Amino acid sequence: MNIRPRFFIGAGLIILAIGYLIGNAMRSTSEYYLTVAEVAARQSELGGQSLRVAGQVKPGTIEWDPNTLTLKFEIVPIPDLNAAGEPVKPVVATEPVTFRVVAAGEPKPDMFAAGRDVIVEGNLGAGGVITATQVMTSCASKYKPKRSQ
Amino acid sequence: MTELGNLALAIALILAVYSIFANIYGARRNAPDFVVSARHALWSMCAMVTIAVVVLWVALLRSDFSLEYVASYSSSTLPTVYKITALWAGQQGSLLLWTWLLAIFTSVAAFQNRRRNPETTPYALAVLAGVSIFFLLMLNFVTRPFDLLATIPAEGSDLNPLLQNYWMAIHPPSLYTGYVSASVPFAFGAAALITGKLDDGWIRSTRRWAIFSWFFLTLGNLFGARWAYEVLGWGGYWAWDPVENAAFMPWLVMTAYLHSVMIQERKDMLKVWNLSLIGLAFGLTLFGTFITRSGVISSVHSFTQSGLGPYFLSFLIAATLAYTGLLIFRSKQLRSPAEFESYLSREAAFLFNNLILVGITFAVFWGTIFPVLSEAVRGVKITVGPPFFNRVNAPLALGLVFLTGIGPLIAWRRTSADNLIRSFATPVVIGVAAGIVTAAAGLRQWYVLTAFSLAAFVLGTVLVEFRRGMKARRHMMSESRPRALVNLVAKNNRRYGGYVIHVGLIVAFIGVVGSSFFRTEVKKSVHSGDSFTIGSYTLRFLGFTQLDTPHVVSATARVEVLGADGREITVMTPAKLFYVRAQQPATEVAIRSTPLSDLYLVLAGIDDGGETATFEVFLTPLVFWLWAGGLLMVLGTVIVMWPNVRERAAIAAAMSRSSTAAARELADSAAPGSD
Repeated sequence: MNIRPRFFIGAGLIILAIGYLIGNAMRSTSEYYLTVAEVAARQSELGGQSLRVAGQVKPGTIEWDPNTLTLKFEIVPIPDLNAAGEPVKPVVATEPVTFRVVAAGEPKPDMFAAGRDVIVEGNLGAGGVITATQVMTSCASKYKPKRSQ
Repeated sequence: MTELGNLALAIALILAVYSIFANIYGARRNAPDFVVSARHALWSMCAMVTIAVVVLWVALLRSDFSLEYVASYSSSTLPTVYKITALWAGQQGSLLLWTWLLAIFTSVAAFQNRRRNPETTPYALAVLAGVSIFFLLMLNFVTRPFDLLATIPAEGSDLNPLLQNYWMAIHPPSLYTGYVSASVPFAFGAAALITGKLDDGWIRSTRRWAIFSWFFLTLGNLFGARWAYEVLGWGGYWAWDPVENAAFMPWLVMTAYLHSVMIQERKDMLKVWNLSLIGLAFGLTLFGTFITRSGVISSVHSFTQSGLGPYFLSFLIAATLAYTGLLIFRSKQLRSPAEFESYLSREAAFLFNNLILVGITFAVFWGTIFPVLSEAVRGVKITVGPPFFNRVNAPLALGLVFLTGIGPLIAWRRTSADNLIRSFATPVVIGVAAGIVTAAAGLRQWYVLTAFSLAAFVLGTVLVEFRRGMKARRHMMSESRPRALVNLVAKNNRRYGGYVIHVGLIVAFIGVVGSSFFRTEVKKSVHSGDSFTIGSYTLRFLGFTQLDTPHVVSATARVEVLGADGREITVMTPAKLFYVRAQQPATEVAIRSTPLSDLYLVLAGIDDGGETATFEVFLTPLVFWLWAGGLLMVLGTVIVMWPNVRERAAIAAAMSRSSTAAARELADSAAPGSD
């Protein structure tokens, strides 16, 4: 007597359930991971979507209010580095794209400073302002999340 | 000194290459001299890699900044213990540690099998030597630990402050031990495929290795989570970061493997599945190193990034293709005559547990590599964060917990309704009761209710099992209760150790559910003397204490913690540190842990010249039980691995009668699940 097919049904159901869970979770939780330049290029289609943006803190734009825990700054694209680790000068000098970031209710990350590479998680609103839920700083290749979720 | 290190690594590489040829030649031509010579070559290789490790350690301890590695990961003011752990702080050192562990384990496996498994051992050792060759090639030509600097700096740039922590000192060696020891069962599995000796001999001779590997993978994951909890300062312990996932996936697959091999030993089924699982486990350990080191996927823990990625990927692909090829080549011989008979059987429960574990592994893998995939396919990077992993894995975890309760109690082959009722009536009552209590306590989320009921159900099954076993002993041997308990576990250490591991898993699961669902968080900027509340606690900020040392400058906040009755419980001291050499700030978290909940205090910022402090406070219920459960799992594994005196003596006696068949018979009878 061969009862094997019944097991394929059971195993198949489990596999289908796992597949469904993955697909379902993908639809509801995925977010774009973009550079500042890419955000600029796709600005029109990104409105209101959650995204992660990698950029650099523009010096002289940081405002930090410890009483309301509000951090405001602007991000610009991370310059390409040459082999020696120096920024490559663009061939055509253009005004770099800039987005304003507002993060409220979160403490300022330890390593946050002008010129640092950061990853901002949040939504792109009207007027190119990113409302951030999380700001992660990176130092060389080290990322340190202040908070997850 | 450094020449010695380079020389040792070069000789080690030559010895590894030689041992492959000697092993294969010796096995094929039936020339035992070559097999012996190959074994000696592997032991010498181990000695060479040991020399390289010692040389690097000496350089670190002497702060020899002429070495690039020492200058990059140490400094003269670094505490001695972290000079030692700096061996695995950077890439070259980590790979050296990996190679060293592999060399040690290969040597031990060679020693254990010097008279056993004469047909397969040479091939298994050749496979292990092949893996060593890859790592030695990296160390000799790609990422050299003994490279010198052109100009010797006066001071090193110090160990990353995040790594100057107790847990980070022991996390990588544990994880690597777990990773690397998985190579041994893999190598014997591959040898079984190569030689066509496809019975369960390879599983039996490497069972202890598999458990050993699982033990250290468990420890590695726990230490890593504990490190994240104490150091990263976000109040959690697991963020589904790629590197965390890389450590988690081999653990999942090894867990599946440890269960499914029991079916093969017992029923001679699932041969292809077991060989695939061990191959997958081995592949995932390489994949883990690949994503940690390649920088392909950005991560919290990629402390080093480098061009190693392509090499690892090539090796991974080559190994996968070769192993899959072998599996296909032997597929006809791997067919099992046996069949599953009933859903209500232990083998069915184990099969479904395996499917879920592999399913979780796949989901974690998918979420981890999705940014890379989406960029390659659609040209835009799409990430999935912790919500993805939680949403997929939370229901799967429930299924797994359920099967944890079913598996050990249900009979092999098929179970009668009568039997089911006898085994599960009490646990079901316990589970339902726990659900009612949870609901009565005001917790109404369906997931929490289900999770706590299932957890109680599983604990109930283990309780029933222990009681049943003790009862039998008390009847037959008329032992006292404690005596019966001790003997029960000691005489059947695999089985009851396994139950302890299950209890640990369930306790940890309760901790995870509690901490995920009921965490509260308060963020507050306060002046000294001000207070604020979280839960039933009142926190009053008293002021700062400043401390300057040449290595680190710190500002420690003193925070008085008052209970609901207004009485002082304790003073907590979270701190902000600044590491002078590394020029890096860091945060030191203060945690007050109780079985009910953890009060977790982060000094997030200092403003107005030290007048204002910003605190981030988390109240995390039940997280204590995650660590307690982890400890129980560790304890259970120790019980499982404990040499069983009776079994040993029996095997030795059988051996002395020079009948290996009899010894195997006995080893069989001592196998888990055979009672």
